Amino acid sequence: MKENILIIGGGAAGMEAATQLQKLGQTPIIIEKSNALGGHVAQWDRLFPAFHPAKDVVEQMLANVKGVDVRMNTEVADIQRNENGFKAVLSDNTTIDAKAVVLATGFDLFNAERKQEYGYGIYNNVITSLELEKFFRTGKDERINNPKKIGFVHCVGARDVKVCNTYCSKVCCTTALKQACEMKEVFPDAEVYTFYMDLRMFGPGYEDLYLRTQKDFDVKCVRGRVCEVSEDMDGRLVIKAEDTLFGKPLKMTLDLLVLMCSMEKNKSIDAIQQKLGVANNSDGFMQIKDTYLGMNDTAKDGVFVAGTCTAPKSLPDTIAEARSVAVEVFNYINNR
Amino acid sequence: MNQYIFHPFVLPFVLGMAFVLTYCLVGLLRIIAQLPKDDRKQFWRSLVTPKTAWANIRDLFGDCLFHVKIWKRNPILGYMHSSIAFGWFMLIAIGHVMLFTLKPLEGVDVQGFERTFTNCYYPIFYKHFATETPVFAFLMDFFLIVIITGIFIAVVKKIYSGMVGVKRVTKFGFADNMIRFALWTIFPFRLVAEKTNIMAFWWLYSIDLMIFMCLLPFTRYMHIPTEALFILLRHAGLKAREPRKGFALAQIYSCPSCGLCIDACPMSVNDKMSDNTSAYFMKKLRNKDSEEAQRIAETCLMCGKCVMVCPVSIESCDIKFSQRAATPYNINSDHSYLDVISTEAQRSGEISVNNPHVLYFAGCMTQLTPKIMRAMKQIMEAAGEDYEFIDKDGGICCGRPMLLSGKTAEAKAMIEKNTELIKKSGAKKLVLSCPICYKVFKEEYHLEGIEIQHHTQYIDELIKSGKLQVDKGDVNYVYHDPCELGRAFGVYDEPREVIESVGNLRKAKSEKELSICCGGSLGSFNLTQQERDEITENSVNDLMFNHPDEIVTACPLCLKTFARKSPVQVQDIAEIVCEKLKK
Repeated sequence: MKENILIIGGGAAGMEAATQLQKLGQTPIIIEKSNALGGHVAQWDRLFPAFHPAKDVVEQMLANVKGVDVRMNTEVADIQRNENGFKAVLSDNTTIDAKAVVLATGFDLFNAERKQEYGYGIYNNVITSLELEKFFRTGKDERINNPKKIGFVHCVGARDVKVCNTYCSKVCCTTALKQACEMKEVFPDAEVYTFYMDLRMFGPGYEDLYLRTQKDFDVKCVRGRVCEVSEDMDGRLVIKAEDTLFGKPLKMTLDLLVLMCSMEKNKSIDAIQQKLGVANNSDGFMQIKDTYLGMNDTAKDGVFVAGTCTAPKSLPDTIAEARSVAVEVFNYINNR
Repeated sequence: MNQYIFHPFVLPFVLGMAFVLTYCLVGLLRIIAQLPKDDRKQFWRSLVTPKTAWANIRDLFGDCLFHVKIWKRNPILGYMHSSIAFGWFMLIAIGHVMLFTLKPLEGVDVQGFERTFTNCYYPIFYKHFATETPVFAFLMDFFLIVIITGIFIAVVKKIYSGMVGVKRVTKFGFADNMIRFALWTIFPFRLVAEKTNIMAFWWLYSIDLMIFMCLLPFTRYMHIPTEALFILLRHAGLKAREPRKGFALAQIYSCPSCGLCIDACPMSVNDKMSDNTSAYFMKKLRNKDSEEAQRIAETCLMCGKCVMVCPVSIESCDIKFSQRAATPYNINSDHSYLDVISTEAQRSGEISVNNPHVLYFAGCMTQLTPKIMRAMKQIMEAAGEDYEFIDKDGGICCGRPMLLSGKTAEAKAMIEKNTELIKKSGAKKLVLSCPICYKVFKEEYHLEGIEIQHHTQYIDELIKSGKLQVDKGDVNYVYHDPCELGRAFGVYDEPREVIESVGNLRKAKSEKELSICCGGSLGSFNLTQQERDEITENSVNDLMFNHPDEIVTACPLCLKTFARKSPVQVQDIAEIVCEKLKK
């Protein structure tokens, strides 16, 4: 049987799921709200742990989805369940009949302005991890002006009850160390500090990156949260933090502060998610059916999930989930 | 004993009366003995000072008999209380007047001890022994009926408390339920006994009175005699110093467990948290359940709303502070840094040299909300003020967190150092952005010659004096009254006037003294984040009642707390003024 599969989201998860479903003889249709495929990965310069160019991965994935029906600049306006599966109305007023739906809607970056004490949007020299990637890609950012002292703050909007996000965002630790090393490459004379709670180097090669960060790049890792940031007379940033290994408070003046923003569920899909009847978990991500054997299933028949819409994930994890969702959907269609 | 004016059915009443009078007398002496020496002196003096003596008389009648405060809150509830209290008082009073006007009693003249003994029950049971003149008969019947109407309301209220505007009522134990039943039946029994003269009802009436008086000391009805003492002590200007002694004890027994504070408490968003309200705190203290009392004292947000609505004016927050102060928390504070800070400030010379007119103390909470500081700076620049930020480079805590945990000595160290720095500056005015700081500066600091203002008052003054020019926009704002600014100091009008000069003010559902704590209060030690979130959501819903475009507050802590849960933007009052500064 050859069926239409509606894939909402054209990021890593959506592209990979479409690739695999096409190989399995199905007709995946990707609905992408922006004007390009690739999602957040396409906004990244290089990937941890080996500084692999993100562009290479995205290009490979783009080549793989060749032949897939992709609707760019399009959103799902309405979706109804019927006896044959689902009927979706798109924002361009076309309709699609599909046997199954894959939600691959990904994440939003935490809005750093919500942590006012870090001064994003208030002080000029506070930027986000995403903005730093853009600087690495384009070499342009007015705020980055040959900084002599650079700080990275981990867990911005993650593991923080004060912003109602108690979960770990998983990838920011390694990203921060990767970016710290890259800053040393761009500004070899700069002093670079990272402020972390714990360093969660969970994947292959990540711990090696942590050792290299200190040995080869001379980045200083301070265990402690930054509590507040202010600006001095010259417009430099004064941060207050605690070095919990020394058990002492510290104060430091920096030229640039990078906030490692956490992942939050992409909320632009909320209305459609509600129509499909998919609930959220306590972290605000989509609720999966089972932690071990149902990570691609939702409580609703025919509605599948993949990637960071269910929890923060690294790129390899996302791709693995996208492949598994293809098999799940294939089995669902063939009643296996 | 003359047969004619004695009957064995008076004995239960006499026994009950003897018991309750002895109990109250001992209790009174004990409370007065427990007062610290200075307080006791102050108390005696207040009794003979004309001003306080007048206040005593006014409140003894107004509060204990007429329940004026409850009338103001809800007329039905007011009638219920004053009909029973005042009606009963009048029955006793008229009964005694009768006793003196009707002698000798129905032709029987008893003297000496017998006379005294007879006097104590005669007015209660006189109808069995004598017939009174028509005027007295009318008055006595009238007040008896008045009481019975009050009891009728009480019975209806028990079944449907919403009628008198009360959502939640206090949960009671056996003794409280029993005494309530006794109170409800005393007067109907009396009426039947008087009208029919059936002996069984005279017995029931007397036994009911005995039950009431014997249970009185062990139930909430103890508030009836204790409140009189509490009023005198309160007017003497005393403050609770120990959680279960002296003045605090008088307050504990004055709590009628009416439960008005349960509805008022921000924690009453769910049933489990409503067990932390003041009515239960007083009950736990009274029952000597110090573990639970301690837990509640530490859980309380200290927003002061229960004190505001309390019909008896019980200062439950003060008692909670004294409970905290009595606990040796393991805080090993090291204040050696205070000396370092003073030398740093002197070295920089910033404060002492410039001699500014206005000194701005941001405080640690405002340091965490730099947008407020930036707005204040722009406002002061725009107004052409001669100002200085005293804690721009990190200052000393105002001392309030230490005070909140009952650590007065530690707080004093900070207060002294700050006082020294502020006085040295030569400033004429101190402006604060944080109501938490404002409270401690107003109450604990002695800064003679320096005007202390919260920035809402300061901005209001700048606008009114014409120093600050603003444009009026068309944004609809709702204002949240921070507990420490509103209920604590009655600063309600200035922020509202400021908001009206830059936009439109929409009303919240609960405003001013009834404003609901944001849930972020430093006051509580052990509420979980989930519990706080529930409180915040409730408070936000209350503010969103008239669909404003934006929530405005004047406390950095409220701001941060609301920002997490609000569907609309939340800003400090300084920020919205800053947006509307005339270019």
